[in-house]
Amino acid sequence: MDLRKTAAFFVTVITCLFFFGMTGAKAAEPYNLGVALGLTGTGALYSADQVEAVKLAVEEINAKGGFLGKHKIELFIRDTQTKPDVGVREVKDLILRDKIKAVINDYSSAVALAVKPIAQEYKVLHIAAISNSENITKINPSPYTFQVVPNTYMQGKASAVAVAKMAKQKGWKEYITIASDYEWGRSTQAEVVKVLKEMVPNLSLKKEFWPRLGEAQFTSYITGIMAMKPDFVFGVLASNDNVAWMEQAKTYGFFDKIAYPGSLISVTELILQAKTLPRNIIALTRAPFFAHLDNPMMADFVKNYRAKYNKFPSDWAVLGYDAVYALKQGVEKANSIDTEKVKDSMKGLTVNLTRGKLAFRTIDNQLSCSSYVGTITDDPKYPFPIYKDIVEVKGSESERPESEILEARKAEKK
Amino acid sequence: MKNKYLFPVILFLLAVALPFIVPEFWVHVLTEILIMGLFAASFNMIFGYMGQLSFGHAAYYGVGAYTTGLLMVKANVPLLVCLPLSMLSAGLCAAVLGYFCVKLRGIYFAILTMAFGQLVYYIIFQWYSFTGGDNGLQGIVPPAFLGKAANPYYFFTLIVVTLGMIALWIISESPFGYTMRAIRDNAERTEFIGINVQRYMHLNFIIAAVFAGLAGALWGPFNRSVAPDLCSWQHSGMPVFMTVMGGPFNFLGPLIGSAIYTLLMAFVTSFTEYWPMVSGIVIIVVVLVMPGGLLGLLRDRLPFLRQNVGRAKETNG
Amino acid sequence: MDITSLFAQFLSGLTYGTILFLVAAGLSLIFGVMNILNFAHAALWLMGAYFSYTFWSWMQGYSFAFWLSIPLAGLAAAAVGWVMEVVLIKRIYKRELYEQLLITYCIALILSDTIKLTWGVTNKLIVRPEIIQKPVFIFGAPLDSYFLFVIASGAAVAIGLWWFLKYTRYGHIVKAAVYSREMVGALGIPIPRIDTWVFTLGIFLAGFAGGIQAPIGSITLGMDTAIIIQAFCVVVIGGFGSLLGTLVGSLIVGEVMSFTILFWPEGAMVLIFVITAAILIVRPWGLFGTPMRT
Repeated sequence: MDLRKTAAFFVTVITCLFFFGMTGAKAAEPYNLGVALGLTGTGALYSADQVEAVKLAVEEINAKGGFLGKHKIELFIRDTQTKPDVGVREVKDLILRDKIKAVINDYSSAVALAVKPIAQEYKVLHIAAISNSENITKINPSPYTFQVVPNTYMQGKASAVAVAKMAKQKGWKEYITIASDYEWGRSTQAEVVKVLKEMVPNLSLKKEFWPRLGEAQFTSYITGIMAMKPDFVFGVLASNDNVAWMEQAKTYGFFDKIAYPGSLISVTELILQAKTLPRNIIALTRAPFFAHLDNPMMADFVKNYRAKYNKFPSDWAVLGYDAVYALKQGVEKANSIDTEKVKDSMKGLTVNLTRGKLAFRTIDNQLSCSSYVGTITDDPKYPFPIYKDIVEVKGSESERPESEILEARKAEKK
Repeated sequence: MKNKYLFPVILFLLAVALPFIVPEFWVHVLTEILIMGLFAASFNMIFGYMGQLSFGHAAYYGVGAYTTGLLMVKANVPLLVCLPLSMLSAGLCAAVLGYFCVKLRGIYFAILTMAFGQLVYYIIFQWYSFTGGDNGLQGIVPPAFLGKAANPYYFFTLIVVTLGMIALWIISESPFGYTMRAIRDNAERTEFIGINVQRYMHLNFIIAAVFAGLAGALWGPFNRSVAPDLCSWQHSGMPVFMTVMGGPFNFLGPLIGSAIYTLLMAFVTSFTEYWPMVSGIVIIVVVLVMPGGLLGLLRDRLPFLRQNVGRAKETNG
Repeated sequence: MDITSLFAQFLSGLTYGTILFLVAAGLSLIFGVMNILNFAHAALWLMGAYFSYTFWSWMQGYSFAFWLSIPLAGLAAAAVGWVMEVVLIKRIYKRELYEQLLITYCIALILSDTIKLTWGVTNKLIVRPEIIQKPVFIFGAPLDSYFLFVIASGAAVAIGLWWFLKYTRYGHIVKAAVYSREMVGALGIPIPRIDTWVFTLGIFLAGFAGGIQAPIGSITLGMDTAIIIQAFCVVVIGGFGSLLGTLVGSLIVGEVMSFTILFWPEGAMVLIFVITAAILIVRPWGLFGTPMRT
């Protein structure tokens, strides 16, 4: 019999597990904040900026003692690889091991959708600051999920209105859409197509292209679209995909031949592709710092961000910073870091952010924030082009009416 | 002979006791170990017992996961009904694809299984209206009688995985299992004694897929969602890693490998994001210095582990 | 759909095929001689792209920087490949198939994280010289002017490899080794040295292809996982170890991708894997390969 050896083997195993388990336990005094973003994969470009801004916000708050002056914020940063499966695992890990009270997540709307029920189950605040699919807050709403970025309905509406105006002016007849084949691309494209149909009835959608999320080779799409000679193309691509698409389309002379109005070109792209971006096209973005420099909070943020990172903040940096400060004001109103209380106090709360005084809608926890449409133009003040003639489409002008949200929820339940 | 069942029984008792001792996070890790362990054990039916390397086994795991996911989300079918249906769908899928795979050996077998795996992946990926495409499916919630806490679902998984492992054990110890070993060791000679090698291999391929489907079916309710990545070639690499770590020449090797891999991952990811690099280095070391995996290494030292598959040189085409 | 548009589509398929060819040529060569399916090939390809970015940014301001960084990327990747072969790959030629696959797969994981550690997670963008920023028109069909260079490079590599295999002594040894390593060894030729150089040459091609890819779009982490599987398909369709096969295989995959986007976009990848599986079932050694000895 080797029972002794067997016993020794299992005792070792159990001891090891105990040891692992102990490392998970931590004191409860600090406020543990999780950041789970797509740091590798397609979303890396936007997510990296956001992490930097979150770090800056946390440093500022901790310099004053933390939340409520006494709860130091501890940051836990994880990579979701822009994949729903990995995202769920990482967030679960953050909740159970790092005992986070809130998580900023994600780049991808598909990941945010998968994380939402997990956050609700474990009663952890979930703040979406890049991912903006309307479905995150519209159907199956979670009281723990807040969105500080204009959602796909608001963005789609803002850009579709601008595009419709141009289409009427120029007498455009046919168009093509090219959108990333996942939640964000699908829901934005659907909204834009719907609004365009209502506003310009004789406009026809000739074809839809759905490159996969993470596509790097767009040449066949480009020649294919150019062959169909549409009057304009509407693009719903972001981050790495958007850069690859714009770079390749430009080398084909795409933008000289075909109008490309109203598509997402964020500050990240403006900076990264400063030399190569086509000028004078109308584009859409979510939180450009240069639209709100008159707001002292934004001016300070830009100054501090530049001092720390030696670059201008992108939309995603602005949104990450706002996410932390929205949470801060929620904690202050609740006068507690207890998640249940913070969740309730944030409902309908008006917060002071870099983008001005904005309120969370009670019905869906969506921040009633603006979308920005403008013309890409060079500016001597910056080493990259910025938006000129900015039209700020307010949240109140672009939100989905509450009655429609209730209807959608009813339809979902059946 | 007396010791033959000692190791598995102790393992089972340990699995029953652990959730009451460790914090909730580790209960989730244990659930994952069990699910991936069953997946790896089903893979080892092809790898360890048949001597062929499948690099597309995640396809059947994914088909199982999506069968359960779709039935639960779209038709509210109870989980207990979903499990056998997932096994059925994965088996049917393998019946078609496996028919072609078993005609090939060695590297060609590996690549064809991978090509079929990617085929399944892209079908799920592109069929947006039905499978949700890249978004996957959300809202797969375990049935009410299991509640939402970690422990009940863990025990449910433990029961299902234990039954699955027992079934695999019975198959591997049956005359059929010994025929597979004979085919692995010398396919030609097995053919000469009047055995239809291809048909046996096909049947074994289907059995392996059925249990991979069962493992996949357990994943959705555990993670509350499924995504196409469950079928990707990277995911097909997981059971290979686990089996090689634990030891392909032992029935429990894949399960032990799953425990090592998953625990190591849970441990390493808590302080570094460079888990792929760490896992790569660990596996290279395992392959270079302990080709029999952990159980292979321990076998000579700990006699109670000796209920191996019967070591033999692998045959490549 | 007029003829010019179809031609434009053909050209874009041709360019994608050329990129695939450059990646797959080294893969096929290494498999042909050493029987190793190198999972790490695309990681080295991506590393080549990052190397090219680094060299380009070092030499920024010089007119030759853009062009010189491409072959330099190949050389840098080849150096990494050489170390890899001498330290690790050498030990696994005689090992089991699964051990070879696992080791190269793990090398790919390690290299990917090495890239992340070295270059960070943000995109890298190479700005092209003036002359290749505008499209050219071939019979009215638009083409990115840089792609003329890509196609020419692909053709040069194909011809160079063909000439090497057909007319040089080393080429003859390599070709002989594809048929029988034992026989070549028996003739007194040092097989281990040949292995090292063939592997290094294969990785040079990968790095060179990465350098070529770099100015198309931007360089990002994770680009390698998409292309490695397509490169496998190319090699399977064309046949392991056959140069002509790799060329034909990459053109097939490139054109199928390009034309399905016009007519059946959802089916592009599905169709590629159906073709690959069909070839494996009917003719496992590929269109131009020879049945593998055991």
